[in-house]
Amino acid sequence: MLDLINEILQTLNHNKLRTALTGLAVAWGVFMLIVLLSVARGVTNKFQSFQEGAGSKVVQLWGGYTSKPYNGLREGRGVKLRDNDISRLERASGSHVGEVSSVIYGEAQTITAGTRSINGEYTGMYPSARETERHTVISGRYINQKDMDQCAHVMVLSEDFARQLFPPDGAKAVGSRVSCKGLSFLVIGVYKANWYRDNIIPYTTARHMAANPEEVGSLKIQLADVNSETDGETAESDIRRTVADAHNFDPEDESALFVNNRFLNGLKAQGAMNILSVSVWVLGLLSLLSGIVGISNIMFVSVKERTHEIGIRRAIGARPRSILVQIIAEAIAITTIFGYIGIVSGTAVTQVIGAVSKGSDALENPTVSLALAFEVTLVLVIAGAMAGLFPALKALKVKPVEALRDE
Amino acid sequence: MIELKNINKTYPGAVPVHVLKGIDMHVRKGELVSIMGASGSGKSTLLNILGILDNYDTGEYRLDGKLIRDLSENRAAEYRNRMIGFVFQSFNLINYKTAVENVALPLFYQGVSRRKRNMLALEQLEKMGLRDRASHLPGEMSGGQKQRVAIARAMITNPSIILADEPTGALDSQTSKDVMQVFHDLNRRDGKTIIIVTHDPGVGAQTDRIIRISDGVIVD
Repeated sequence: MLDLINEILQTLNHNKLRTALTGLAVAWGVFMLIVLLSVARGVTNKFQSFQEGAGSKVVQLWGGYTSKPYNGLREGRGVKLRDNDISRLERASGSHVGEVSSVIYGEAQTITAGTRSINGEYTGMYPSARETERHTVISGRYINQKDMDQCAHVMVLSEDFARQLFPPDGAKAVGSRVSCKGLSFLVIGVYKANWYRDNIIPYTTARHMAANPEEVGSLKIQLADVNSETDGETAESDIRRTVADAHNFDPEDESALFVNNRFLNGLKAQGAMNILSVSVWVLGLLSLLSGIVGISNIMFVSVKERTHEIGIRRAIGARPRSILVQIIAEAIAITTIFGYIGIVSGTAVTQVIGAVSKGSDALENPTVSLALAFEVTLVLVIAGAMAGLFPALKALKVKPVEALRDE
Repeated sequence: MIELKNINKTYPGAVPVHVLKGIDMHVRKGELVSIMGASGSGKSTLLNILGILDNYDTGEYRLDGKLIRDLSENRAAEYRNRMIGFVFQSFNLINYKTAVENVALPLFYQGVSRRKRNMLALEQLEKMGLRDRASHLPGEMSGGQKQRVAIARAMITNPSIILADEPTGALDSQTSKDVMQVFHDLNRRDGKTIIIVTHDPGVGAQTDRIIRISDGVIVD
């Protein structure tokens, strides 16, 4: 084996420039493959963290305006979701509907702490929002049932608000007081915002502060037992029908009720991510393929050039198999050596991309795993063997007599 | 050692060429023989058949008692490697390998370890008086030196016969004499059976026996 490697290195060394130029194509192909794959992984990672932040088995509803006449009523009526829709949905909407909660959005307010004030929004939420929205409390605590029962004037600030109101790092926020809409709130916690950046107060407190005593901003339905697209669609149409019955509009009227089915969206996006992933592999492999074809081509040239040498080797006792193994091994050696260069430089570039894109909205941790590097290496060895196979078979057809005559 | 009985060979084609027409030939162990003939007489074809580089159509060829006929490529390679040493007019050394690597190459195909085959190759080069040229590339050597490297390569597997195809054809007269001297030494001292194909009467005269071939038949 060591002997064979030596023999291969000697022949490759004999044709340094050609080996290098051929190898470059493969290195480039692998480099592109690695970079593409890792960027795709970065996009997928980012997407998954968004999806987790949004809570993936939740359907959220907002009232809209009817676009069709229904039951003798004209179009263009506003649909206002109300607190009593919660029990109605929980009662009537089939097996996939779990806990229902509501949200009240306060309009933009000036929030003041001492001499600092900034514009922000508050949102009235249930304690369960901590799970449905996957809010991570980084200091203090989240709102709880006791806050709800007492309509407590407490607030959980989002991380960047806490930082702006209590510079430099928001460490003093918990336990301090802020004022909002003329009321004083005790800051009980700070949470890390994934994408939702409002300041959270108990739903009951927001209910008191709201101008309309019944109306809610949106309804949030936790889905239960949903595993497939069909489950998600069934749940959504059940929900639509229930709300349509209560508010007297056509269940088919999409503009009467806006539905954000995060579960279905998640499935669809997952499908898109899978397509992205597959197309990146295809693109990468195609770019690698051009390198492989180059190697195959150069091995043909090499076999042609070395016809005489192959003849000499055959005359002094090389079996056909030795020739076959040598040519294929040469092709594998070029692909793996230069492929490895591609892997290393590709990985280096993805590290740079990772460092530059840190905190960006498009990418998260765009790196390649060891398993992927192993897969790519495997692809390289197979590709190298394929590249060498046909030239090697051609070399086998060389008859020693004719080869010796070829000068 | 070598026995040919009624060997025939025709190259197919639009006009088939019948190159060997019933060759009968016998070479004893330890003989130094030359095969002479004009170009196109069939002597190269005969040499290729003797060297198991080419097949014959009809007849019988025995080398060292073994019938050489319709061998598989692998078996043919093995026989060439172990029983025959080739020396060519144009040396046929691999130009990117040093003298010692060229000499050692046949042993590579026997699976001999690198250390051992280099040692044996150096021994052969020593016998040819080329020990100090061991790490030189063919391009850095004279014609006579190259031919002696080629002879060392032919000798390294300790073959039964040495087949030389116009071994002095590319050399000047003094170098030719030196190379012929090497063949004489191998024949007299080591008892090697040697067959030299040549059209040079001077070379033929230095052998024990001349087999003349003309138009595919042995004439004397």
